[in-house]
Amino acid sequence: MSALPRHVLNTGWILVLPFLVLVVALFLGPIVNILWLSVSEPTPGLGNYAKLFTSDSLGRIIGTTVRICVISTAISVALGYSIAYAMVHAADASRNKMLGLLLMSFWISVLVRTFSWLMLLGRNGVVNNGLEALGIISQPISFMRNELGVLIGMVHYMVPYAVLPILASMQSIDGRVVQASRSLGATGAQTFWRVYLPLTRAGIVAASLLVFIINLGFYVVPAVLGGGKVLMVAEYISVQVLVTLQWGTAAMLAALMLFGVLALLFLMSRFMKLSTVFGGGKA
Amino acid sequence: MAELGKSGSLQLKALTKHYGTFTAVENVDLEIQSGEFLTLLGPSGSGKTTLLMMMAGFQDITSGDILLDGRSIAAMPAEKRNFGMVFQGYALFPHMTVRDNIAYPLSVRKRPKAEIDARVGEMMELVRLGDFAHRLPKELSGGQQQRVALARALCFAPPVLLLDEPLGALDKNLRTEVQAQLKDIHHRIGTTFVYVTHDQEEALSMSDRIVIMRNGHIEQLGTPTALYQQPTTRFAASFLGKSNFLHRDGAVYALRPEKIDLAAAGHGQGANKVAGIVQSVTYFGSVLKYQVEVLGMGLIEVDVDAWRGGAPLPEHSPVDLTWADNAAVRLNDQS
Amino acid sequence: MHDKQFMRESLLQGAQAFQAGKMGRRSFLALCGMAGFASASVLAGRAEAAAGEIVMWNWGGQSEECHTSAIGNAFTAETGIPLKFDTSGPLQGKIKEMVDSGNVTADVCDGDLFDAVALGKTGHLEPIDYTVVDKAKTIDGYALEFGVSIILYGYAFMYDTQTYPDGAPSTWADFFDTTKFPGTRSLYKWANGSLEAALMADGVAKDALYPLDMDRALAKIKAIKADTIYWGSGAEAQQMIVNGEVSMGMVWQNRGRSIENDTNGRYKLVTNQAIAMPGAYIVPKGNPGGAAVMKFIATAQSVQAQLDLFACLGMTPTNPEAIAALAEADQPYSITSAANLPNVVMNDPTWWGENTDAAVNAFLAAIS
Repeated sequence: MSALPRHVLNTGWILVLPFLVLVVALFLGPIVNILWLSVSEPTPGLGNYAKLFTSDSLGRIIGTTVRICVISTAISVALGYSIAYAMVHAADASRNKMLGLLLMSFWISVLVRTFSWLMLLGRNGVVNNGLEALGIISQPISFMRNELGVLIGMVHYMVPYAVLPILASMQSIDGRVVQASRSLGATGAQTFWRVYLPLTRAGIVAASLLVFIINLGFYVVPAVLGGGKVLMVAEYISVQVLVTLQWGTAAMLAALMLFGVLALLFLMSRFMKLSTVFGGGKA
Repeated sequence: MAELGKSGSLQLKALTKHYGTFTAVENVDLEIQSGEFLTLLGPSGSGKTTLLMMMAGFQDITSGDILLDGRSIAAMPAEKRNFGMVFQGYALFPHMTVRDNIAYPLSVRKRPKAEIDARVGEMMELVRLGDFAHRLPKELSGGQQQRVALARALCFAPPVLLLDEPLGALDKNLRTEVQAQLKDIHHRIGTTFVYVTHDQEEALSMSDRIVIMRNGHIEQLGTPTALYQQPTTRFAASFLGKSNFLHRDGAVYALRPEKIDLAAAGHGQGANKVAGIVQSVTYFGSVLKYQVEVLGMGLIEVDVDAWRGGAPLPEHSPVDLTWADNAAVRLNDQS
Repeated sequence: MHDKQFMRESLLQGAQAFQAGKMGRRSFLALCGMAGFASASVLAGRAEAAAGEIVMWNWGGQSEECHTSAIGNAFTAETGIPLKFDTSGPLQGKIKEMVDSGNVTADVCDGDLFDAVALGKTGHLEPIDYTVVDKAKTIDGYALEFGVSIILYGYAFMYDTQTYPDGAPSTWADFFDTTKFPGTRSLYKWANGSLEAALMADGVAKDALYPLDMDRALAKIKAIKADTIYWGSGAEAQQMIVNGEVSMGMVWQNRGRSIENDTNGRYKLVTNQAIAMPGAYIVPKGNPGGAAVMKFIATAQSVQAQLDLFACLGMTPTNPEAIAALAEADQPYSITSAANLPNVVMNDPTWWGENTDAAVNAFLAAIS
């Protein structure tokens, strides 16, 4: 038993200790501060949390946020899956090109993307003007400044994030397993649904979690492409902090998002080992 | 065990595979009899796996044809060929239980549940896996995984079973045991087995016939005995077993080490006799391996049954080597 | 904020000790490494306010250049005190955070007069020193304890002359009438101005707007919600019009002239019933530059400074002498020019200072 302290205090821990202290100070500190604000501003108590049940608009904002995040996650992951699939099955040279393009899209700021979508799909955008010139439509189609616009903008931003974990899980599949399925008489569709898809499940879950959690924090895209009518939690928090000075409400919503994400991770961990989702070794 | 299904015969006609400018398989003609255990033996890069993958339908063929019971299957996709296949590393479905792995070929064919259950039970008995039905592959040992792969590949009664180095991942002791099991299963079900390996012992112990592959073509084809006793090339003689090569009258002869008798100088008797000096002697339990320097012939290897005679002759002893006339086999190679 | 400062100070001390040879190279690098995470956020921050200079916290864009030429140069010439900028936008929440954290880095904020009411009440602002700043050089009622209006901007609307060739909209009632004037329109999404416009459209007289009848205003807003999109910044409002997304759009009045130019006159500004908003200079509590900032504010009240600001940013002067000195051609674009004044509404900063939180949240609930 006297050997125990050596395990706990081995040199590795001593090396990371300063960073742990920093992480606690710089990361946990603000979180505790937020939690504290949520129960102390403007008056001590759970009044901010009670608003969740009494305020229609808060419920609606949270509902809108969850709905848009779920839809956008589903579409992003589906598109990301297709792209990853194409990449895995492309020749090396073109796969590298595709990966380059994918990573390049990370460098384009969300503001630039957002305004590009307006140019492209706005009321007077390239697409609407083109369709009108071709006589296909007589009235412009409302792609932007509504929920559809928000979804287009968010999906476009999130697809690369969805591709990477799925790509990783596809690349780890032993090609012989797919061959085995075919040799055993399964059609392409059967092989996909019964073998390929289940084997990429960890990638899909990881991508979904990643996309959903990032989606929760989306601010610029809904604010601009939603035309002001699609109010999501992140923008609402920002308004409460900066404009209406209701920091208690803002902190409560921030805490709620934090707990929501943690609950999601917990639920997921009951179905599968999180380490497999995040690539931490094979279970 | 009841008969599992009709076994099939395969015919390869002038089969060729190019990868760009590289020729992996060149103009191979081969007839595989129904019910036969045929082994493709060769070093890596000899084209044996490419040949198997073309039979399985996972490799396009560049030219030539493959016939199953007389009908061309060259253009048929892998999933329509109905060949069982055991892969290197087994390629079990990691997310399915043993039972579901074995049932897979039947369930994708949408067979009734009762039939699947009965059949899976039968197969698990065949490969003696009854207790493991609900385990996942990762919970099994290598030998058990290998048996699951075999049961899965045989479950739908394929006319032909293709095996790609199926024992490569097993340790040596287990391998011998599994060889016997495989041979036994082949006997019981009578399906045509096409077996790829680079291990000569596996080839010799299990096969009805062996195809020795080299650089994309068939070097020699025959029963294990015929190949061992009558190799036609240096390559065949040295890849399957060991051989000394003698150069006589512009021809090359293969002479197996165990076919040479060794005696102290002056005691050798036989039609062919040469004198030499022992360079080294190594004890292997069942045999003593001598290396003997013979003037004009170089180092000759000689295997002597260890239980015969007394103590090994020491290094530098002068010895006589003798062998029967029919022991040296004339090869097709030029001297 | 405290820990950031601590980190920065340890780094500075470390650097000095390193130069003086008192600290080994490795220890200094380790300190830098540990601080690296934090210092990125520290260093990419604001202009540092220090005694002997004035830091103005404004909204970026052209304003830095305009504030320098209109006010800064004269102020520095007179006092020798340089003017610096933080262009990150002094929203109420940011001012509150800065003062609460005790790390005040700005001296004067280019804010709204209702900010002065809201933040003054909570003790986040320095009072304006009216022995230095002149109450007479602004509009009556816009010189408050914690802020003084320097310029006016406002909410007006613009319309597409091609969509409405026969009979242009000229009132907020027209703006809210989607039968007579069909098409998409835009409103400001943080309630301000939009509420006043809705009430006027619903028949409330411009002198009887305050206190705002929220329910009535929101009912009017909701009635045209299907035909409305909402903007959050001046640039966005401008873009909605220039890109032809709206047939009628609320804009910040001072941008009207440049939008008319950008669209070659296709969109026209309507200043009738515009809502004049008092922009104000306010001083965060404990500002580092001290009392000198009052001199800066006084400089901004001068006729020349106000005319320069109008020329540079399109913001209407509050100094009555400056308004009187505007050129004839500039009169229509000055929200409180003699011609416009009878038709505009003067925003009530006290109502907004006390009700912004409730008004904004109710507005957001109505439009989302």
